[in-house]
Amino acid sequence: MKSVLKTTLLTLLLLIASSLAVFAAIRLSGGDVTAARLPASATAEDRELFRQQVGLDQPILRQYVTYVGEVFTGDLGNSLTNNASISSLAVEKIKNSAILGGMSLVLVFGVGIPLGMIAALKRNSWLDTGITSFSVAGMAVPNFWLALILIYIFATVLGWLPSAGQGGIEYLILPAVVLSAEGIALTVRMTRSAMIENLSQDFVRTLRAAGLSERRIYFKHVLRNSLLPIISLAGLRVGQIVGYALVVETIFGWPGVGQQLVNAVLRRDYPVVQFFSLLLVFVVTLGNLAASVGYTLANPRLRK
Amino acid sequence: MKRFARARKNKQLVTGSVLACIIVLLALVGPMVFGDYNSQDLALSHKPVGTDGAFFGTDGLGRDLAARATFGIRISLIVAISVTAIAVIFGTIIGLIAGYTKGVVDSVASLVIDFIWGFPLILVAVLAAASIGSGLLPVILAVGLVNTVAIARVVRGEVLGISEKDFVVAAKAGGYSTLRILSRHVAPNVIPVALVLSSYYVAVAIIAEAALSFVGLGAQPPLPSLGQMVSEGRNYMRLNHWESTIPGVLIFVMVLSVSLIGDGLRDLLDPRLRTALERASSK
Repeated sequence: MKSVLKTTLLTLLLLIASSLAVFAAIRLSGGDVTAARLPASATAEDRELFRQQVGLDQPILRQYVTYVGEVFTGDLGNSLTNNASISSLAVEKIKNSAILGGMSLVLVFGVGIPLGMIAALKRNSWLDTGITSFSVAGMAVPNFWLALILIYIFATVLGWLPSAGQGGIEYLILPAVVLSAEGIALTVRMTRSAMIENLSQDFVRTLRAAGLSERRIYFKHVLRNSLLPIISLAGLRVGQIVGYALVVETIFGWPGVGQQLVNAVLRRDYPVVQFFSLLLVFVVTLGNLAASVGYTLANPRLRK
Repeated sequence: MKRFARARKNKQLVTGSVLACIIVLLALVGPMVFGDYNSQDLALSHKPVGTDGAFFGTDGLGRDLAARATFGIRISLIVAISVTAIAVIFGTIIGLIAGYTKGVVDSVASLVIDFIWGFPLILVAVLAAASIGSGLLPVILAVGLVNTVAIARVVRGEVLGISEKDFVVAAKAGGYSTLRILSRHVAPNVIPVALVLSSYYVAVAIIAEAALSFVGLGAQPPLPSLGQMVSEGRNYMRLNHWESTIPGVLIFVMVLSVSLIGDGLRDLLDPRLRTALERASSK
């Protein structure tokens, strides 16, 4: 328990340090802020005045503390490009990304674990070869290209699913499949090798000798031992999904955090970039912390 | 010699190496054979594959896709391989120091390493692009940082185990300097792991470069990049899908070849290293 507490505290410290680093790094492009907001004819004094007005002349640390205060009061300022309130933007984008990300996580485990189990139980059969090659391919296909192939097949040729946008459940299917593809492949691989490793352990032989049915050995004892480390590492998949969401949301025009951040970076809309980058740093850090705590708790040997 | 014979029997390694040779050949010879990647001729736009003078057809601006694709491979390979090579050097050094000195240095180093390692490469690259602007530089910095910590992490774990071994203890007792012990006794045992692992990180770097260029934050026009070509071609899927299929297949083949080489080399290594690698690549 003590080690868990220590990890949590240290991670929070690093979170503050890294968010400060991101915050300062985004200000490296601060020169462009006045260019985005003021007309080209603005003089150097006008620009300096503007920087003072928005507080860019303050020391970084003070700006950071002020900003954190603003985040907690819910006042995040406005976008430079369309003057939309970032707070209301955030609520909507976070909701959309949570739907897509949540669906992808469900697919990663809901599809990955059963396929991995089948591959392990039918080891070296054609089914195993099929599932394993599928998972190797799933890790090598870049997901933006997979997205284009699926759009071409299911939207352009067959016309079954919409190619982009947001609406009913049919709009969710393609992006969720693409976003979860690599996670599914990885989960299949991990489940398969964990099951195979556990099946060769002594306790399986002992359980067989004790007369337990094969089904009971597989589903109760082997499965539980194999899945615990995989599921406790679910937080790592969150980080992976966040990374890929930046690309996948852009392709499918899914109005989430990833698409918003990429567009804001392209348009140099720094207040928006700032909020959404810090948000993603926060989410990924929490995911990793959850994985590290979960893994410790799931392993009696690591619990101290 | 025995090892070489074993390598030849390894199907993954052979397939991966053959594919890698083809890719490298395309990158070296392609831009010379197919000419200027940026010469535009609107009269020749959207020509199909196999057109006279344009082996892979042309894009919307009439630019030769073969010339663009092969130059794009060059950019991918240079970014992915050279940056990962530098990452292997720094990652190994950091891992050696952290794992061997233990104590406070190690605690702090591994805390930071684990923290950065947890971040997806694409997010780090987008953050870098947010601070220094779009282009290949943020991709290079992100790949360098993330791959360095990834390699340092594994090397450190290996060093922790090796520095307890009798031969290291004996070398210490023999009064050799730390530098000599690290370079002569510890490093030779961990460098193979770092090298094999690096093939996986080359794959990750290729994908990240392509993805960043795809969304417009990576290589900037007129520089051709495979990810950017896939993105430009997707608007003409019905007209001429090859404009996006060809660069897409090339990225896939590049990633597949390095992953196959990685898997093949892993099987050739001794079993102890294999488990370390499996743990490392299960992120």
